[in-house]
Amino acid sequence: MTRTRLLTLTPFVILALLVWLVSVPVSNRPVTHNIVMTADQFAFDPPVLRVNQGDTVRLTLQAADVVHGFYLDGYGLNTRIEPGVSRQIEFTADRAGKFRYRCSVSCGSLHPFMIGELVVNPNFPFYRAVGITLITVIAVLVYLRKFPPAPV
Amino acid sequence: MTTPTNRLERFALAVLLFILAGVPVALLGYQYFVRLALSPVRVIDITAAAPEAGGFQPDAIRVAAGETVRLRFSVPDVTHGIAIGPGLGIDIGHVDPGQVREVEVTFDRPGRYTVYCSTWCSPNHWRMRGTIEVYDPSQPDALPPSQPPDPALESLAARGINIDAEHPAETIPDTPPSPGRGAEITATHQNTLPADLFNPAWRQQHSPVEAWSMLVAHGMNQPDAWDVVAHLWTSSLQGDRLAQASTLYAKNCAACHGEDGSGTGPGAAVLQAQHALEHSDMPQAGKPTAFADPRIMLGGRSEIYYAKIRRGGMGTGMPGFGQIFTPEESWMLAEYLWRFVFVPAENRP
Repeated sequence: MTRTRLLTLTPFVILALLVWLVSVPVSNRPVTHNIVMTADQFAFDPPVLRVNQGDTVRLTLQAADVVHGFYLDGYGLNTRIEPGVSRQIEFTADRAGKFRYRCSVSCGSLHPFMIGELVVNPNFPFYRAVGITLITVIAVLVYLRKFPPAPV
Repeated sequence: MTTPTNRLERFALAVLLFILAGVPVALLGYQYFVRLALSPVRVIDITAAAPEAGGFQPDAIRVAAGETVRLRFSVPDVTHGIAIGPGLGIDIGHVDPGQVREVEVTFDRPGRYTVYCSTWCSPNHWRMRGTIEVYDPSQPDALPPSQPPDPALESLAARGINIDAEHPAETIPDTPPSPGRGAEITATHQNTLPADLFNPAWRQQHSPVEAWSMLVAHGMNQPDAWDVVAHLWTSSLQGDRLAQASTLYAKNCAACHGEDGSGTGPGAAVLQAQHALEHSDMPQAGKPTAFADPRIMLGGRSEIYYAKIRRGGMGTGMPGFGQIFTPEESWMLAEYLWRFVFVPAENRP
C-alpha cells in the first residue's frame, strides 16, 4: 500500500528535480553593470536599478546642481557627490532584496524624499520556482484523487 | 485682601513668567552676548546661502591687521564650500546644512581678501563672494592697498592683444599627439631644436601652433612636431604643482567646463540658458570653452588663458578669479588647460 503511494509520487519528484537542476541556455552568470547615476534636486536618475544577485555594479555618480550624497541601505555605502566631480563606486550585489538608496547630504526642501531603489533579484530564477510549485500542486491533486482521505 | 490661594496663584504666575521669559533670554543671551564675551578672540558668525537667497551675511567684514578672528560659518540651504583667498590657503571645505564650521584667521598685512564658495551650489554660484577688508590699525580710515597691476595683463594690453577675441588654430594634429613620444624625440634632438622652445616664458607668450610651425620649418615631420609640442606644453606642470592645479580645476572650473574639459559640466546648461535670456543676439557666447577641442585651444597662449582666468570673460558667464587666486595659482591653471588637448584622457588623474 505505502509502496504504491510512493510510486505515484516518484515521477513528480523526478520532474521537480529536473526543473530545479537542469541548466537551460538562459545564463545567469554574474555580469558587470556600468551605470551613470545622476543626482539632482530631488531625484536620482535612474530611479530604479535592477540587477541579479552576484552581479557587479559599477556606478559613476554625478551631481547636476548642488552637492548630494549617495547612501545605499543594506550595503552600507556612502559617498558625497560634488557637481563637476564624478565619483566611481563599485560593489558586488551579494544580498538579494530591495534596497533603498537615498541622498545623504541635506540638499534642499524635498531632500528626505530623494530616494531610489536597488532591486537585487535572487539567483534562483522565478520560472523554476513557478515550475516546481505547479508540479507540487498537480502531484497533490493526483495523489488525492487516487487515495482520497477517509471520510471523517 | 490676600488669601493663601491668591498668594499661591501669584507664585504660579511668577514661575510661569520666569520660564516663558527666562528660557529665551538665557538662550539668546548666551548666543549673542555671553559666548562672544567669553571668547578670547572676536567671533564673527557668517551665514552662507546661495546668492539668490542672500549670499554671505555679513558680506563685508573689517578686521585689523594682526587681529585674530574666529569665523563661524553655517549654511541654511544647501552644501557650500568655504574658502578665503588669495594666497591664504584657507579652505574649510564643505559646510552642510545644520553644521557650523569655524576657522581662526590672523591677517598679517592690510589688504582686501575674498571669502568665496568653492562648490557649485546654484546657477548664481560664481556670484557668491564676500570681502574681508584688513586695515592698518594705525590708520584705520585709510583704504586698503589695491592689488598692483598685473604685468602679464599690462603686457598683453601693450602689445594690443585682444584676450576676448577667438584664437582658432589654423591647423590641428590629425591624431592625438603623445607627450611621451615627444619627450623621447626632444631628448634625442635637444641640441638642434630652437632654444626658445625650452624657455617657459617664451612658451607662455606663444601658441602651440606657432611652435609647431617653427619645428616644421626646422625640418621635423608634422606628427613628430606635434608630439614635441605636446611634451613641452605639458612639461612645466609636474608633481605637486600638477596636483594643486588639478584640485583648483575640480573645485572652481569643472562645474562649467566639465571635468574632461568638454565644456559640458552641470553648470554649463544653466549658464547657457541664463545667457540666452539676457543676450538673445549672441547665444553662443554663453557656452563654456571646451578645453579638449584642439581647434579652439591650440591657437591660444598660456598668457591669454591666464588673463581670462584673472579678469574673467566680457559678456560671458566666466567670472574673474583675480580676487581669489594668486598669480601663481592662475598660471598653474592656465598651464593645466593644455593637458586636455595634449594628454590622452586615460593618463589624466
